[in-house]
Amino acid sequence: MGLVKKSRIKSPWVLHYDCTSCNGCDIETLACLTPLYDVERFGIINVGNPKHADILVVTGSVNKRNERVLRNLYNQMPEPKAVVAVGACACTGGIFKDCYNVLGGVDKVLPVDVYVPGCCAKPEAIIDGIMLAASKLEEKAEALKEAKAHA
Amino acid sequence: MDKYTLLALAIFIPLLSAFLCYTFNKPWVRNTVVFVTALIMFAVAGGFVYYLIHSGGKIEISLESLHLPFDVGFIFKLFDFLLLAYIADIGMKHKKPLIVFLSVLQAVALLVFELVGSVKEPHVVFVIDYLSLIMLLLVSVIGPMITIFATGYMKEHEHHQHLEKSRQPRFFAILFIFLSAMNALVMTNNLSWMLFFWEVTTLCSFLLISHDGNEKAVKNGLRALWINMLGGLAFVFAIIVIYNALGTLSLEELLRNRMVSAGLLPVGLGLLCFAGFTKSAQFPFQSWLLGAMVAPTPVSALLHSSTMVKAGVYLIVRIAPVFSGTTLGTMVAVAGAFTFVGASAIAISQSNGKRVLAYSTIANLGLIVCCAGIGSYVALGAAVLLMIFHAISKALLFLCVGTIELEIGSRDIEDMQGLFKKMPFTTVIAVIGMISMLLPPFGVLLTKWLALEAAVKLPLVLICIIIGSAFTLVFWSKWIGIILTLSFHAKYKMEKLPVAMSATMAVLVLAVIFTGVDISMIFNAVVAPFLTESLKGLPETVLNGTNGLWLVSESGRMVGGFSSFYFFMILFLLFLLYPYIFRSSKAELWKPPYLCGANTEEDFKGLEFNAPADTVEHVIVHNYYFAGAFGEANITPWANFIAGAIIMIMFGVVI
Amino acid sequence: MDIVILKDILTVAATIILAPIIGGLLTGIDRKITARMQSRSGPPILQPFYDLIKLLGKERLIVNQTQMMFALGHLFFAVAALAMFMLGQDLLMILFIMAFSSIMLIMGAMSVRSPYSKIGAQREIVQIMAYEPVLILMVVGIFLSTGSFMIRPLFSDMFSFGKPLLYDLPLVFIAFIYVLTIKLRKSPFDFSTSHHGHQELIKGITTEFSGPQLAVIELTHWYELVLFLGLITMFFARPVWIGIGIALICYFCEIVIDNISARMTWKWMLQATWIVGIGVAMTNIIWLYLK
Repeated sequence: MGLVKKSRIKSPWVLHYDCTSCNGCDIETLACLTPLYDVERFGIINVGNPKHADILVVTGSVNKRNERVLRNLYNQMPEPKAVVAVGACACTGGIFKDCYNVLGGVDKVLPVDVYVPGCCAKPEAIIDGIMLAASKLEEKAEALKEAKAHA
Repeated sequence: MDKYTLLALAIFIPLLSAFLCYTFNKPWVRNTVVFVTALIMFAVAGGFVYYLIHSGGKIEISLESLHLPFDVGFIFKLFDFLLLAYIADIGMKHKKPLIVFLSVLQAVALLVFELVGSVKEPHVVFVIDYLSLIMLLLVSVIGPMITIFATGYMKEHEHHQHLEKSRQPRFFAILFIFLSAMNALVMTNNLSWMLFFWEVTTLCSFLLISHDGNEKAVKNGLRALWINMLGGLAFVFAIIVIYNALGTLSLEELLRNRMVSAGLLPVGLGLLCFAGFTKSAQFPFQSWLLGAMVAPTPVSALLHSSTMVKAGVYLIVRIAPVFSGTTLGTMVAVAGAFTFVGASAIAISQSNGKRVLAYSTIANLGLIVCCAGIGSYVALGAAVLLMIFHAISKALLFLCVGTIELEIGSRDIEDMQGLFKKMPFTTVIAVIGMISMLLPPFGVLLTKWLALEAAVKLPLVLICIIIGSAFTLVFWSKWIGIILTLSFHAKYKMEKLPVAMSATMAVLVLAVIFTGVDISMIFNAVVAPFLTESLKGLPETVLNGTNGLWLVSESGRMVGGFSSFYFFMILFLLFLLYPYIFRSSKAELWKPPYLCGANTEEDFKGLEFNAPADTVEHVIVHNYYFAGAFGEANITPWANFIAGAIIMIMFGVVI
Repeated sequence: MDIVILKDILTVAATIILAPIIGGLLTGIDRKITARMQSRSGPPILQPFYDLIKLLGKERLIVNQTQMMFALGHLFFAVAALAMFMLGQDLLMILFIMAFSSIMLIMGAMSVRSPYSKIGAQREIVQIMAYEPVLILMVVGIFLSTGSFMIRPLFSDMFSFGKPLLYDLPLVFIAFIYVLTIKLRKSPFDFSTSHHGHQELIKGITTEFSGPQLAVIELTHWYELVLFLGLITMFFARPVWIGIGIALICYFCEIVIDNISARMTWKWMLQATWIVGIGVAMTNIIWLYLK
């Protein structure tokens, strides 16, 4: 089992979904892919397809229109999977919190594993967040297994 | 049982059944007759196999040994003229002067031929060797099976048509006459008798194609008639020319010759090839076979697999050893290869399933003609093997498409999405049939491989086959992909089909698999003896059929080969694994396809998505058809033009 | 006889075990080199193995019950093609078995009702149509040069110096390298499954394969990679290490091409491959005929 655990940590594939971000956090997220930050050294790949992804990276607050999409994407990801909320809006709703159409942070809809604060979040922080989520994958896999055994 | 009984049974049993079917219009009588006839024809075919092996590979039956009280030759001639008169009458009735003209011309030519010199008829009237045996097996095994299928199919078909009075007696009678004529055609040694049977198949195909009687059916039937009459005319001239060149009408004596570059014989052979081209729907004569698609499915299955079109290639393969290695042979090979690539290209643009099958038939016949034209040991082997495998697979595929059409009411490939859910049985069989047309380790691909290895010395032919086989891959894989499309379903229910239909398809699919697995056995049993017999004494690369097919060069070195057995093992392993995969695919693991997060809530199949303004749209994905590049209307005129030119060159070379 | 069979079995077993290790390592090196070319430090060499094992450990999501069968078929026939290559079988037949493997993947991609996967599959079919003739012409060229379709004679004296196949078939080799770019799914021909999923095609043909299914497909790519490098080696097989060296150099060139070119349209590819690939290969073959 050690090998699978190590592999999970070493190969977190990311699906990046922009809810209603102002694009600040998106730019920072994509900046992680540039040679300066080079997330591929950690095995992180932006796969753009929920069926291949391990970690859902969400930027921006959730509103009534995109809640459905967010759930759908999360639902199509295979277990074990984790969610990283990037930026103030994704964590809490940020300055849009009280808008009539905004539900709030990502945790209003999905179980969030890692909150990356900041407006915008710094690339270093985003990478840290994703790696932290990757290290939680094993835990989640164990929990799933136990839940299955109980059921 | 002796050879005379077998011969009589092979020809007269179908005739008798035709008579019975025509007279008694009771479904149970017809079904019994069809079933019993099928059994007898299987037995006769088996009897021929036994008899041929025990009589050293050749059965000869001379006219004298038949002890007939009357002059058979005269009767055949009489029938010949009656037939031509009937065809002329058809032409008159439908106001087609061309058909009248062609039949009158044939009759005049025959009359002049008979009157001018006293024609010496050959003594040996029937010769059955291994090639005849292969054709006999195809006709007497696949033919009756299609007839059995037809008993189930025609009932449904007429049910859809709302006929006042069933026309099935006529239909089955013609089917059986057709089979009888085919059996006789492949056994006879007398070219003028062969002409008679040849014309009988032409007439039968007209009657069958126009069976439904609507305007389109009659129009397409008439087209088939005049094109094949053109071939018949070429056949008559071929007989005249060959008789003048060799002084005999015996096919066997013709085969004893090796063609020399000059003289009348090459012209005669060229004319025979021309006749074969029309019958096998080679470019530019392909239109009749495409039009034949209007007929009920059993007819298309019969025309495309074991009868009619195979008569054309049979004739060409039969005479191939005579022109092996000459310029005429090369031109025949080029014509065949061109048909192969042209028909495959057009097939890509077709979305009508039956037309795809039709073009695929034309392409494969082109490949057979091409191999016959190359005429080496390996090439002829490929031609004969392809005749066998193509007949089985294509019969199966036509029956499948016919069944699908009855069920879903369309023969358009795009309408077959998700077919697996509606009719899993037919779908699986159809997919196996298609795979057998396209992929190793099945027989058709092996022959394509042999054809490629045989064509290496002829660059033009080679490039045609290479590009053609790339096209083949495209149109088959598109179609397979469509019918395998399915969403998750916890349970599948088998469709209900008449037993006659499902049993025929099951038997044919088993035949496809067994002939594929046991290709070495088939090769050793029937193909190799034919090749050694007809190509004696030529030092060249030969085929060896121990555990697969192996090419052995004249120096005894193995230069190529393949053992299909191991690959069938892999396929078998996959099929064994499938139940496990199926069971471990539980409903809770099921997710809809990815639609950018816009799947609708309740739709788990991925058929709908949330479009702007809260509307729901359907997901529609079509195959690529490349209509611009491979469209029928774009290619056909050019292809016909080039194919016509190739045939002109062929005649230019021999004259 | 028995010894020969035993040797064959051992060869096949070694192939099945060693090929993915070599293929995985090469893929890792590929990713490292690509990263270095983009002045990044890149993932560890073993990254492809981490990815594979992780995928195997994921939940087995399905869209329908047949996907896994097609993925396995894709794998089995690729392994069979490689095994045939190692046993020195008929080269033409190896190509057809490879085609079966590709068709299996296409059937798997088309078996789901996903537009992305279907479009990817259609493009894959176009790719096959583009490269298959060139590959067959390559085999014909090899036959004209050696008089045999079997590979075994090519490797029979693999440790001695001799005239390499390339001497007769330089243009065929160029055409082969050209279509290899398609087969290895490198830019400018990566349009049936794009490298970068956040594009119009998502992941094309592999979009709907997830977890273990994707792992199987990944594994198949490694086997295929080894087979292709083997085919390059064939052109220089005397002695065999020169061949292997040159195969690696060619692979490096493919990586360079991958990194300096953008994705083209399939129409462009079809025209380019047919005109350039078939044209160049035919030129070479015609001169072999005349020789």
